This record gives sequence, structure tokens and C-alpha cells, in this order.
Amino acid sequence: MNRTLNAFIKKELAQTLRDPRMRVILFVLPMVQMTLFGFAISTEIKRLKLAVFHDPGDRAARQLTERFYSADWFLRVEPEGDDPLRLVRSGRADAALVIPAEGLTRSLARREATVQLILDASNATKARVAESYVSKILATARRGPEPPGPFQLDVRVLYNPTMESSVFLVPGVMSMILCLVTIILTSMSMSKEKERGTFEMIISAPLENWEILLGKTVPFVLIGMLDTVLILLAGTLLFDVPVRGELWKLLLAAFVFVVTTVTIGILISTISKNQQQSMLGSFLFVFPATLMSGIMFPVENMPKTIIVVAYLNPLKYFVTLLRNILLKGGDPWVLWSNIGVLLLMAVATTALSFRRFHQTLN
Amino acid sequence: MSPAAVEVMELTVRFGDFTAVDRLSFAVERGEIFGFLGANGAGKTTAIRTLCGLLRPTHGSARVAGLGYEDGGRALKGRVGYMSQRFTLYDDLTVDENMSFAAGLRKLSPEVLARRTEELFEFIGLTAPRNTLVRHLAGGIKQELALAAAILHDPEILFLDEPTSGVSPVARIRFWKLIRNLTEKGKTVIVTTHYMDEAEQCGRIALMRSGRLIALDSPAELKERTFPEPLLELDAQGRDPDDFLNTLRRNPGVIDVQPYGSRHHVTVRSSSEEAVLSSVPAGMSLRRIPPSLEDVFLRLVEGKDR
Repeated sequence: MNRTLNAFIKKELAQTLRDPRMRVILFVLPMVQMTLFGFAISTEIKRLKLAVFHDPGDRAARQLTERFYSADWFLRVEPEGDDPLRLVRSGRADAALVIPAEGLTRSLARREATVQLILDASNATKARVAESYVSKILATARRGPEPPGPFQLDVRVLYNPTMESSVFLVPGVMSMILCLVTIILTSMSMSKEKERGTFEMIISAPLENWEILLGKTVPFVLIGMLDTVLILLAGTLLFDVPVRGELWKLLLAAFVFVVTTVTIGILISTISKNQQQSMLGSFLFVFPATLMSGIMFPVENMPKTIIVVAYLNPLKYFVTLLRNILLKGGDPWVLWSNIGVLLLMAVATTALSFRRFHQTLN
Repeated sequence: MSPAAVEVMELTVRFGDFTAVDRLSFAVERGEIFGFLGANGAGKTTAIRTLCGLLRPTHGSARVAGLGYEDGGRALKGRVGYMSQRFTLYDDLTVDENMSFAAGLRKLSPEVLARRTEELFEFIGLTAPRNTLVRHLAGGIKQELALAAAILHDPEILFLDEPTSGVSPVARIRFWKLIRNLTEKGKTVIVTTHYMDEAEQCGRIALMRSGRLIALDSPAELKERTFPEPLLELDAQGRDPDDFLNTLRRNPGVIDVQPYGSRHHVTVRSSSEEAVLSSVPAGMSLRRIPPSLEDVFLRLVEGKDR
């Protein structure tokens, strides 16, 4: 058995590392993805275009306006004419703040100041963030020099004190890449054998089903672990993602996850007839898996029926594991429960692909 | 050891409603070169794949090297070599890497691998460096290498499915020399082919049509049996043979007239041979020829479709 497995490992490594397309998938794709998510994409929204409409003689309004532009959140857009709607509709401003016509100084004196905020919600995320910034600034402005009220909120932000989205996103992207790469590699390699006819040489040898399945699994687990190390190095060195948990926890979690995804790849290949179908099958799995993993959107907010599906998603457990180990240091309960679920999944997919795998051509 | 290398009884293989191999029965002796001849889709490949353990018989039985399919065909697979009509080596691996993967599949030790590759590379006369990627080798050399990989574990029975398709004529001659060398060493070779000159080199030929065995004999016997009467070849030498052909077709002493390239092959009753030969118009030639396998093939396989 050792000889057969050895032969498969040598062969798959040689083929994968020699193929320029596979090298791109293994080494370039992860870097491009991480750069995109780490640097370019950010859930923090800054530099919103805001126009404030007020009477130039209104002192309180002028002071308030200065507060808006003093932070990095808003960019000054000069109000033109007296139609804030037009400014927002044309896209020259994301938001317009309209001070009452009598002036802020006078209405504050009557303690009845109502300002109007006009928001462009064609991008709902942006609008929501703009609204929360504006209300925060208004709240601090209202408190002003007066003594604080009975409650004061003292906020302490844990694990990611500056709330940088890259620290949150990069572990997510790492798991997404690992999922994509291992599933594509494994399923494509198996269907390539069938497409080219080399599968006939394998099944003409006196091998048990499990020997062939193991031979097509173990090499890709190894390649997946190699990619894990690469992705971890890039994530920590380039994107300053902290590694607070022990390395063995990280590698163990990655190993169990890679075993799960590789067996999913085998399962996909037992359903597909050629490489294209395998590629399509892999994407059909990876896209919903990514969306429902909690990498970008929290799973807890999804409708109940969808949550059931989300809980069948191995990526969800690995993202949880990776964030917990990297950012929080790896809580034992989180570690073992998530690894346990992943192991169950690996066993289930292995059993399924074992049932679907045939050595005969009938 | 069972006396026959392969024994097939009423072997039937179906894919759904389609019967690819229909009640096939024959036996192959040790040391024989046994050829399967037939049109595409006649069931040759299915028969071979079944005998190699890649397919299961739907009905009937087959014993290969005395073994059946009880254990999933694994023992059987250990005793035979199979060279598919598809190229089964890895284009993106080197010569050596391919051989060592083939050895791994058969669990051969590194010593056996080293010894056998040495022997086999000498046997096939491989001159290319062993670290060449297989995709850079010429077609004929690739086929010889595939043969070497198929017999790496020294099987007693070798199945070759159209081993020389798409290979140059010179490479085909070389390849058949290798096949004969193997049978001289006591190996049994079962081969399918499209080429009549290759079929001539088989000890016996099984002619297949629509999954059925329609004839099985040595090339000489096949010719004798299919053409017990004299076969004549008409060469019109540029003249219009139609009038003469019509006369021949009306002649009760003529059994069959078949176009054969620019010529015609005419089967006649022995008693009418002289009369027909002397009736040839001036300027055309009509002479007795020995039947070729192609005549046999046309008569037996294609003839029935008409």
C-alpha cells in the first residue's frame, strides 16, 4: 500500500507543480485575492461627500459644519443654489444636511432644533454609515460644553482595537482561498484522469477502491497544507494579521478543513464527466459557501431556513476557527467543537464519494 | 495452470438496452497472437476491457489465466497487462516518472522497477533520455513506452487495443516485431486492429460484427473457408468494364462480383473458372488471385449489411 500511495504522491506533486495553470491557482491567486481584500476592499466607509445648507450668518450652524469636516469621515461639497435634492440626485453629494431656515442659533435657543438629512441610499451600506456618523456628531454637538448626563458609555474594543476591516477580512479570505484551491485542484485532477484516459491505467491495476481514493486524496491534502503555510505567511507578514493562538491549533484546524474540502473535491469529480463540469461544480459549491460562511455577512442574520443550510457549510466552521485562533488565541471549546463538526463532514463526504466511486467503466 | 490462457463462454456485456458483446464464446491458447477484427462499434474494445477486468460481464463467464471476477477482478488484473486504445501515460511526466508510477500501481519494489525498466527500455530500443517529458516523444515511441508500462509487471497475458492506430507505418512494423518477440517468450497476446496486414500476423482471428463472433480461424483457414471457389481479379486497364460485368452477373457460374478499388473481384464456381477466364474481352485482364483478408472481411462483415 505504501508503494502505491507513495507513487500517487510523487506523481500528483510533479504534475501539479509543473503545470503553469496550477501554479497560478496555487501561488498567484491567493496573493491577488488577499491583496484585494486586505488593501482595496474595506468595509470602513470614509470620505463621504456631504453638503451642508445653512445661512452664512448662522454662527451655530457654522460651528456644527466645522465639526463635520474636521474628521476624515466627510468631504466638503459646496452647496449650490438652494436645492439639496438636486445635488444628491446628480451624485455630487452622498448626503445633504439642511439647517432650518430660521437658523440654528435661533432654533437652538428655542430648544427645538430639527435638521434634515437627505441621503442617497442607492448604496444602502454607505447611507447607513453616513446616517450613523451624522447622528453621532450631532449627539456630541448637542452635549457641547454642558455637563455629561447620568449615563456615560465607556467603550473598550477587544481583539481589533482600531476596528480595521482587513484584520477581520483577511482570515476570511484565507479560508475562502484554501477552500477554492483544494476543491478545484482535487476535482479537476480526478476528472482529468478520466478525460485523458489515464484513469484506465489506474483501474487496470489490481487496486482496492480505497487505495485509489486515498491516492487521489493524500497528495492534495499535502498541497493544501503547503498553500496554508503560504497563505498564513502572506497574511501575517503583508497584512499584519496577528497570530495570537498556538501554531499547532492553526495547523490542526487547517488540516481537518483541507481534508474536508479535498473529499468534497473527490465527490464533485465522481459526479462530473469532464474537467469543465468539475470546474463548474467547484464554483457552484464555493460561491454559496463563501457568501454563507460569515466571511462578509454574519450568518446569524440570515433567515431561519437559510441558516440550516449555512450550518452545513464547512467554510463557516473554518472561518470561525481561523478568526478565533488568529485574533483571540484559540478558545478550547470553539477549537474542538468546530474541528469536531469538520471531522464529521469529512467522514460523511468520504463515505458518499466511496459509494459513488466505481472502478469499472460500466 | 489452466490449459487455456483465456476461456470465454457465452459472454454478454450490456450497457442499458445496448448489447455491446453478445454471447461470445472462444478460447485462446498460451503463446498465441489472437486478433480481434471488426468495424468500429463491433464490440472488440468492450470484449477486451471485460477480459481485463475493467468491465463486468452481464451474462456468461470468462476465465482469464484461470481467474474470474469473484474478487472484483483484482487477481485477474494482477496477471494481465492492458494497453488501452487511449494513450494512458501522463504527457506531463517524464519517461522515468511514468514508469515509476506504473510500478507503484502494481506495488513493485524499487529493485524490480530498476531491473524491469532496464530490460524493457532495451527491449523497445528506447534512445530518448529518461528525463524527457513524454509529450515530447514521437507517436511511435510513445506507444512503445505504453507497451513497456503495460508489461512492467511481467504479465503472462497481454491485451492490446488498437496499439498502432495513428502511428507511422515504420513504427507499426517495429511494434509488431515486439509483439512477436513477446509471444516467442511464451506470452499470450490478444490484440484488436483495423489493419489487414496486422491481422495477417495473428495466429487466429476473431471476426466480430454487432457484438457477435461471426468467424474464428487462422488467416489462411478464413480465406479458404470464405472463398472455397476461385477468386478472379478483373483489371479493365482503362476500358469501360460495365458491359462485361453485366454479362458476368448474368452468368450462373459467377457467384459474386465486388468492386475492389479500380478493379473488380469475381467469385466463380470451380467448374466455370476456365470458361469465365476465356470470356474476357480484349484489352482487359482477368486472372486468378489468392483471396486477401480484406476480401474475407468484406464478404463476412460488410457483405451482411448489404
